[in-house]
Amino acid sequence: MSAKQMHIDPFERNWIVFSVIMLVLFATAVAVAAFGMGIQVPSPETRVDPKTVASDPNSPWANPGVREVVAGKKYDVYILAKTWQYLPAEVKVPVGAKVTFYVTSMDVQHGFKLQDTNVNFQIVPGQVSKLTTTFTKPGSYNYICTEYCGAAHAAMYGVVIVEP
Amino acid sequence: MAKKDKDNEAFRPTGTVAVLVIFVITLILIWGTIYMILLSRGATL
Repeated sequence: MSAKQMHIDPFERNWIVFSVIMLVLFATAVAVAAFGMGIQVPSPETRVDPKTVASDPNSPWANPGVREVVAGKKYDVYILAKTWQYLPAEVKVPVGAKVTFYVTSMDVQHGFKLQDTNVNFQIVPGQVSKLTTTFTKPGSYNYICTEYCGAAHAAMYGVVIVEP
Repeated sequence: MAKKDKDNEAFRPTGTVAVLVIFVITLILIWGTIYMILLSRGATL
């Protein structure tokens, strides 16, 4: 049967057209968010040895915490995840600061969801996950584990305190 | 049911279309709300 002879029910045809339009709209929305608004998903920043990442003196995660890059404007935060806590469990940055999180795990897979922001990624042992956000409002922002990691998974959290 | 009625029902599924329209509108509203929240939370570059 040639294409000319093919019969398509009007409802089926309309649904196909609608589906294609929706796919195009969704793809456009994702492209706008990713490339127009700068909302990126995390990619592996670098690789580390989970067995030595907390003890190697050259590893930033041997002494995790906040590093000031530009006073009041730019900060790097190194966070080490382990069952069932984040090190450090409390981070303080000033409001308006651009903060980049470098997070890795020394044991099992964890998650890192920084509430009320778009920072949300998996923490895989041996891999460093990195995302940046800007805190425009002072307050407390919890970061919580979103990957089940054992008995005390639900108690695994920390807090970013954004100071005015 | 007469054959004519069966054919009519097959070609005019008003209830199905109505449910589908409600479903799609709900889906778009939920998706749109989350999308706006995502945009309002700012960049992660």
